[in-house]
Amino acid sequence: MLERSERLLDPRTCLIVTVSYAALIVASHQLTWLLAELVILWLVIVAVGEGGQYLRWLRLVAAMAASWFAISWLAFDIGTAVTAGLRLVALTSVFFVFFRTTAPEDLGNALVKTGLPYEVAFVFSTSLQFVPVLSRKARNILDAQRSRGIPLEPGLSALRHYPALITPLLIQAFQLGDELAAAMESRGFGRPGRTFRRHYRMRAIDWAVVVLAVGVASLLITWPAI
Amino acid sequence: MGPERQVPEPVIRVSGLRYRYAGAGSEWILENLDLEVRPGEYVLICGSSGSGKSTLCRTLNGLIPHFFGGRMEGRVSVAGLDTREHPVGELFAHVGLVFQNAESQLFNSTVESELAFGLESLGLSPDQIEERVVRAAEIVDITQLLHRQPHQLSGGEQRLVTIAAVLALRPEVLVLDEPYASLDPANVARVRDALSETHRRGTAVVLTEHRLENAVTDAERMVVLYRGRVALEGTPRDVLAEDVTGLGLNPPAVVSTAKALNLPYLPLTVEGLVSAAEGRQLPADLLPDRPARDATTDEALISVQDVDFSFGDRPILREVSLTLGAGECLALVGANGSGKTTLVKHFNGLHRPDRGHVSVLGSDTRRRSVSELARHVGLVLQNVNNQFFKLQVREEIEVGARALGRYDKAWLKDLTAWFRLGPFLERTPYQLSEGEKKRVAFAAVLAPRPEVLVLDEPTTGQDWPFRRALERLLGDLLARGLSVVLVTHDLDFAEQRADRWVLLAGGRVLATGAPGDVMRQTDAMERANLRPTQSFQIRHALGKSRSASADA
Repeated sequence: MLERSERLLDPRTCLIVTVSYAALIVASHQLTWLLAELVILWLVIVAVGEGGQYLRWLRLVAAMAASWFAISWLAFDIGTAVTAGLRLVALTSVFFVFFRTTAPEDLGNALVKTGLPYEVAFVFSTSLQFVPVLSRKARNILDAQRSRGIPLEPGLSALRHYPALITPLLIQAFQLGDELAAAMESRGFGRPGRTFRRHYRMRAIDWAVVVLAVGVASLLITWPAI
Repeated sequence: MGPERQVPEPVIRVSGLRYRYAGAGSEWILENLDLEVRPGEYVLICGSSGSGKSTLCRTLNGLIPHFFGGRMEGRVSVAGLDTREHPVGELFAHVGLVFQNAESQLFNSTVESELAFGLESLGLSPDQIEERVVRAAEIVDITQLLHRQPHQLSGGEQRLVTIAAVLALRPEVLVLDEPYASLDPANVARVRDALSETHRRGTAVVLTEHRLENAVTDAERMVVLYRGRVALEGTPRDVLAEDVTGLGLNPPAVVSTAKALNLPYLPLTVEGLVSAAEGRQLPADLLPDRPARDATTDEALISVQDVDFSFGDRPILREVSLTLGAGECLALVGANGSGKTTLVKHFNGLHRPDRGHVSVLGSDTRRRSVSELARHVGLVLQNVNNQFFKLQVREEIEVGARALGRYDKAWLKDLTAWFRLGPFLERTPYQLSEGEKKRVAFAAVLAPRPEVLVLDEPTTGQDWPFRRALERLLGDLLARGLSVVLVTHDLDFAEQRADRWVLLAGGRVLATGAPGDVMRQTDAMERANLRPTQSFQIRHALGKSRSASADA
């Protein structure tokens, strides 16, 4: 028998909580608030057992946050730069938690139940599945081009040679899209009368969590001290 | 089947089929093709590249004409439904199509969702979906993978998932387009078992393939396509009794041997050959064993000493040591994931060892940039489409040499003539056939005049005419003094071409030596999940292996 574990919360509830928390992070201007929000996120990450994955992922975000910090420092001051860097880490972390705990197709299917056209939901969830595939392709292209002497090592000189990365990547992405469309068609994509093997419904606990999340976020966002 | 039994109606009936893809100047790919497949039959469709195999598959579930457009004449019917009149969304419940590229067919977040997708399309209830998902997973033996992410699976596992996703629909016919391409022997065996089980349960199987050794023993009927037409048809034994080499196919070694020995009965397996040969001996010039090359005096161009390498905390290479001599053809053989490609990426600095040393022409790769090393080691990775970005073949060949400051007009002219690229110089690389693309990629990597050429899985997905041409080409390169490293799990090709094998498994070197000597090391071959080539097995079984005689 397949595992049919019921989710604690409906994917739509998770989305609403995520968006509320993200809005709170965007509205927070005090360093202490941002730090507190980040610590809460870290506790959640540890609680759901994603600590190791988060640390690996954080290494990628760190470079982006450092650039953001540097630009803000040059344009404004050190205080603004620290807040901006932390805000970026917190914002990306909240979506990290969301995507590690909610399968894109679960979210897509739940949104279809709410009235979103199936095709739109499917494009959303499928494009997320293929991010790692395209990133693997990009790495392979980099290796192939560097192997024949085209300098694509990180740095300014690589900019001149970027077509060597972008052109094959785009062409392969289009080919992948064509093949994917044929494969989906061959398994009945777009056929009327589709059913879903999982039930998605908002239970009392979902409504309670939604009201609590939106309420608390709205209250804090409108509070001047934040 | 006895003549008194009624022959069932074909589940697939193709009559007078002609097809060409949309686009100005496109040629007819299929020409007056007739084909029937009976319920529960196992049919092998073979032919060289461009013979129309993939196009035929697309007509069987209605993707042609509904998805690809183009011009179609004649009639295709599946389970009594005319594919022109019924959309793919209706036909997919009767005929399941598994495409060549597994990666682009897996578009769900878990294997379980992948198997359920088509069933949801059919509008089945959750209980029916669950029951069918479980059954399909059991048939192809992937129950343990149901909660994994498809894109994190190995190539063989991905292939099994694509088959299960289609089997869950319980179609009358399962059509597979080159399902063994890019799989190593162990994974080919897994897929073959799954297909045999499917066939045993009564589903008709239609499979395209151009490498015959595995497929001919499984199929009941064999159809050879040549330039879009059925050129030969019958039981595999009857078809292989004819000369298929003119149709771009290489008969299995057992068949060639049986014909050379004038056996009255055509065996399809080594065991069958041994029993039919009844003590006859192999002629000396048939299936010669490749003698070991004396490499003791060779200057070492590449030297790898005690190399360890890991991705994160996952070890990939462990205590690897080897040398490549000047003018030598070395094959790194091993199953998928054995560390072959990771090892050759150390030769040009794409990877640096965690421990140990790699030196190229006496210089440690840790102290040289990739660009510097690319002047000496030309590496062509498996998918040559990864390197094309110029509008013309001419620019594509020149760009690397210019970037490395090694542009030599006379040498490029030689390369163009040698690889017969003259007619394509002004064309865009993406318009070429796969074989032509490979030639462009080889020329581009050779343009800076490296001393070593490394080819990663050069024969994957390639037909026999290409493999023969590649063998000749490598012979020419070696004759000109170049050293070649082949990275492959295609042992037939490695046996034909390489002087020496390095057998890898789990990131370790298990054996080194002449191809025959490595294949004789049964334990190492088993640990590497590889089987000796059919030629080796025949030599061994008929007692004519030179090295075996020497050992004795």
